[in-house]
This record gives sequence, structure tokens and C-alpha cells, in this order.
Amino acid sequence: MRKLVAVIRREFLERVRSKWFVIGTLLGPVFMGAMIVLPMIMAEKGGGDRTVVVLDATTEGFGERVTASMGQLPRMSATRRDVPLEQIEEVATDLAREVGTTPLDGILLLTDNTVEGGRAEYRGANVSSMTDMRMLQATIRASVFAERLRRDGVDPAIVGRAQIPVELATVKIRDGKVTGESGEASFVLAYAIWFLLYIAILLYGAQVLGAVVEEKTSRIVEVLVSSLRPFQLLAGKVIGVGAVGLLQMGIWLLAGKLLADNRAGVARLLGQSDEAAAAIGSFSLPPVPVTTIILALGFFLLGYFLYAAMFAAVAAMVNTEAEARQAQTPVVMLLVIPSLLMVGILNTPDGQMALTLSLIPFTSPIAMPVRWAASPVPIGQVMLSLALLFLTVVAITWVAGRIYRVGILAYGKKPGLKELARWVKG
Amino acid sequence: MNDPVVEVQTVTKRYGSYAAVRDLSLTIPRGAVYGLLGPNGAGKTTTIRMIMSIIYPDEGKVALFGGRGDGKNQSHRIGYLPEERGLYKKMKVIDLLVFLGEIKGVSRARARAAALEWLERLGLGDWALKKADNLSKGMQQKVQFIATILHEPELLILDEPFAGLDPVATQVMKDTVVDLARKGTTILFSTHIMEQAERLCDSVCIIARGTKVVDGPLADIKRQHGGSNVIVAAERSASLDGVLADTRLVKRADNYGNYAELELAAGARPQQVLEALVRQGVTVSRFEIAEPTLHKIFIDLAGPQAQPGSPEEATHA
Repeated sequence: MRKLVAVIRREFLERVRSKWFVIGTLLGPVFMGAMIVLPMIMAEKGGGDRTVVVLDATTEGFGERVTASMGQLPRMSATRRDVPLEQIEEVATDLAREVGTTPLDGILLLTDNTVEGGRAEYRGANVSSMTDMRMLQATIRASVFAERLRRDGVDPAIVGRAQIPVELATVKIRDGKVTGESGEASFVLAYAIWFLLYIAILLYGAQVLGAVVEEKTSRIVEVLVSSLRPFQLLAGKVIGVGAVGLLQMGIWLLAGKLLADNRAGVARLLGQSDEAAAAIGSFSLPPVPVTTIILALGFFLLGYFLYAAMFAAVAAMVNTEAEARQAQTPVVMLLVIPSLLMVGILNTPDGQMALTLSLIPFTSPIAMPVRWAASPVPIGQVMLSLALLFLTVVAITWVAGRIYRVGILAYGKKPGLKELARWVKG
Repeated sequence: MNDPVVEVQTVTKRYGSYAAVRDLSLTIPRGAVYGLLGPNGAGKTTTIRMIMSIIYPDEGKVALFGGRGDGKNQSHRIGYLPEERGLYKKMKVIDLLVFLGEIKGVSRARARAAALEWLERLGLGDWALKKADNLSKGMQQKVQFIATILHEPELLILDEPFAGLDPVATQVMKDTVVDLARKGTTILFSTHIMEQAERLCDSVCIIARGTKVVDGPLADIKRQHGGSNVIVAAERSASLDGVLADTRLVKRADNYGNYAELELAAGARPQQVLEALVRQGVTVSRFEIAEPTLHKIFIDLAGPQAQPGSPEEATHA
């Protein structure tokens, strides 16, 4: 036990004292903050105004009304040009040459068929911008809707009242209680949990990989196993790195909370105007339930042990860091799978895929906390998932320990599957 | 031999179909300086790893300290310097030594004191707070050696301790080993360089291709395998050449004129040669029954088997 403590202490202190830890710990929140703030700033400043020419072959002034309502969109300026229907293609083709070379982003083609058949066409350089297209479509749709009613003789005042938008406020219910957590907030929380867990397991798992490879390549490992049982060495390493991980995440979360609590001030520091900063300050952040934190922490620890054991086994099989980077791919892939399917889990947290992924032990450390944050999960499923994960951790640690025990002293050719099986049995 | 520190009993270790060590037995008495000798790939490192319980024999057993334990639960009584040795490069020398002492069961305070004392004694006092990375190779070797003896082991196992050492470190290590042996530490070291073993050991075990060729006290081995080599220094004369050419007495003579190294014919005794020389009136200034070198004994005994052909030890295990 004293030996194990010595290994843990060395692993922990050497890491915490290294300049990489200091840099990583400082840069973490900066990086996270930048990831949130930068897109906001870029979206506001970036791209500038969209300039659109409306080619109007409509009658009864429909084109004018569309152009006017487009002009009211943020960051959009529209000019209208009357074109006879027969020439509209020709003019559009001519104009297309100017898109991109002059301050012209796109051409909107309107005909009477837009009102009657519900068809309009937009040609532009920014068609892949979902935000732009969604705004454009909504504007045209509203104009067409109003135009149809007007042509049927409905009072414009009534049309105006009919178009007042509806906002749906969403509030989450958990365990039969209204939580005060909005739908958007649960989404943000689930997303944040996914991001943190993924980064943390990958980051610290890979550190275990590096530590094992370092001991093997520096050949200190034989000195170590002459004093320690290989399992003591492995356990000490995994626990030591895990403790560093918890410390670092603790610092990050604390920094994150401080940043969030003072977000208006931070926004002002970053050069936002006073109104924008006030808006950011008043935006309500999701409250994080204690149960969610405990659950995420539990799954993180088990997930970390699982992946750390696998990373250690992989590291014990190879001779150099370059080989290790290659050999770790299958393990990393296991971790990447639930991330690729994350959108599916977030969209339908109670769907079949979300259920499956949150029960499979290799994906559950991330999938279950995400599901939990996004929607209520039956407690039985959580327990089952935890039990499966725990059993897998025990089994994988045992196998990894056997591979590690032989592997750390084996230099030369990487073992094949048959050889590995012998290591595990022997 | 009534207080053996290490007993290896008919041990066999296989890797696949290749037997790295076969039916090997050896006994190391307390206080001995014991040499485990053999060419590369003979099974020295495998044997030592089994003594340390880093790997386990397929057959036979290893008993340490009178059968009371193995290399794992007695590791605090053993200092082990592997052939492949390294350091944590990013650690400060003193922290590293304290850690390596700690995993031998020494308290932090005692480990620190002992480490500082040894660093001072080996001339590394100013380097205690430097990172291992910044040390020269020779200094790193000294640090590795300190880590091996920091906890005052009763049994010191050194696997090819002088391989790759610079002359200064070699000298320091040799002096320290001799000093520890004088204080009663039992020392086992492996080497393929016979001259070192000859000067340091009082007992040896020679192995080749995983099996024992000969073992026992060095003096006994030399006595058993000696007595057929004679050195003669005499005045140059035809009678001298005549005696040296007598094939009943001399199998082979390396004749320099007034100095010759002889290998005697089978059945011939050195005494007969001396008698013949006196009878022929040769003026003898020196007549010496030469002890065979360990190197020669080794070549004689293990010669045919000692040829390389087995894979390097280090690629196994």
C-alpha cells in the first residue's frame, strides 16, 4: 500500500509540477471561452452585409413588397430590378458573372408563379449558409402568404395580426417536478457534458498511454518491476493521472463558473458594446442539477478507468511513441463512435439508438450522462448501465493488467493476436 | 554453503519452443561474490529475472534467503541493476532516488538522507536538484547504481554492470562493489567478460545456451582444469629446443627462443618436463605452472556450444 501511494504521488506531483499542466490549465478556460465567444463575434462582424438583387417579373407590386421586407432583415440589403418575364433568365445569367467579383452575393428570381405555384429561386454564393437561407425563406414565405390573402380580399390589418409570431417556452420536467430548466438549456447542458467527458477521457487516457510508453522506452520499467508488482505500477499510474485529471477539471469548472457569473464584464472586456454585454449577461444559463454532476462524475471515473486500462495495454505492446500513436487507433475509435452519433442522442434522447449506446459499456460513459442531461432516464436503465460498465471495467482491467505485465518487458516485434492470448493466459 | 542466499533448483524457462534456460541449478552462499558467466544469449538475464520474480520458471523453483521468500516479497532486501536500465528523464535526481527508495520500502526521510550521502560520496553532490536529463551518461550510470544500493540490500544483483560504463564510472562501481562485499553483502553479477569475473568473483557459474557448463568456487575450478600449462624461461640452446620438440612431453609450444609457453601432452606432468630440462643441462631461470585463465577454461568447456546462434536475450521475456 505504501508503495502504491509512492507511485501515485510521483505520478501526480511530476505531472502537476510540469509546465504543460500549468499551460494546459490556464489555456483550457481561454480555449473554452474562445470557442463560445468567437463564433458570436464572427457571426456578428464576419461576412458583412449580404447584397441581393431581386429580379422582379411579378405584377401587382408583389416584388416591391418582398424587397421591402428583405430590407428589414439584419445584415441584408436588397435592390429590385424590373425585368420582363421573357428576359429574366438572360439577365440572371449576366448578373451571375458579377457574383463574387463585385459586392453582390446573390440573385432572387420572382415571377407570378411565386405567388400562385409557391416557387421562387435564389442563386448566390452564400447558398450553403443555413442562417441566410432560413431567413430568406421565412421572409418570402410570409410575403407570399400575405399576398395570397390580399388577393383574396382579406383586410391587410387582419393579415398583419395573423402574422404575429408565436414563441413556445419549453420547461423541463424531471421526477414529476418542473425544473425551471428550459429545453434549450438542457440541450446546452447535455452538449457541454458530452464535450467535457469526451475531452477528459481522451486527454487523460492518452496521458496514461504516454506514461507507459515513456517507462518502456527509457527502460526504467525493469527497475520498477523489481520493486513493484506490475499491477501496483499500473494502478498507481492510472489513479495518479486520474487525480491530475480531476484537479484540472475542477479548476476548469471553477474558472468556467466564474467566467459565466461575470459574463457581462467579460464580454465588455472582449470589446462588445454595452448593450450587447448586457444582453449576454441577461441570457439565462442552464442551472446544473447536483444529480447530473454526480452521475457525470461517476461515469467519467469508470469510463476513464476503462479507457486508461486499454491505453496502458496498448502502450505495453509497442516499443516507441510512433508505434503507440498508431496502435491506439482502435481504442480512440471506440471513443469517437458515440461522439459521431451524438446528434442522434441529443435529438431523441429516449430513442432506440440513445438507449443502446447508453447501455454498451464502451459508449455508455459518454452516452448515458448526455441522455440524462437531455431528458429523464428511468433509474433502472441507469443502474443497468452502471452495472454493465463496472463489470466491463473489472474484466478489461484484468486483461489489460496481464498484457501489461508481460508487455512492459517485451521488446522487439509487436505481438500478434495469438501471442497476446498467450500473454493473457500465461 | 549452509546459509545459501539464492538457491536455483533445476529451473527451466521456455519461450515458445525455445528454451532460454534448461535444468539450471545454482547456489549462492551468503557473503559470496558470485559470477554468472556466459556468452550473449546464454540465458543470464533470464536467470536473473527469475531470481527477481520478474518472470517465473516453467519448471523448478527459486528460493531466496533460505527458502523464506521470492524476489517480490523480499525485494526490499535485494538491490537489482538490470542490464537495460533507465531513469525518469524529467525528474530531479534527488526526487527520483527518493522515489526508487520508497518503492523499496524505505521511508522518504531516510531515502533522502541516504541519497544525498551517496551523491556526495560519488561526486554528484551538486547535481541533486538537476533533472536526470541534464546529467552525462556516466553520471546517470552512477545515479542508477545509487538507486540499486540505497536501501542497503543484503543481496546485490548486477546484470552486466560494467557494460557501456565509462572508465570513471567503472572504477567507482568496482570500488563500491568490493567495499560492499567486504561488509558482507552477497553479490551476484553477470558478465560475458571473463577477465572481470576472474578478478572479482570467488565463485562462478558458467552457462551456455541455457545450460550449466560448470560451477563452484573459482579456485576449485582452476585446480580441476589447470596443470597442463607451463611457462619456461631459459638460456637459448639446442638442448632447450630439443626438449620442447619432444612430443611425449609437449603437445604445443609457443617458443620465443629464450621464453616459451607450453601446453603439455596428455599424461605428461610438469615435473617430467623440469627433469628433462635439468638432465639436458638447460639453464632454467624461470619455471612456472601457469593457472589457466577463466577465459581459457570457458573456451575449453563451452567452446563448441558457445558459438552465437541463439537469439539475443533481451528480445525475449
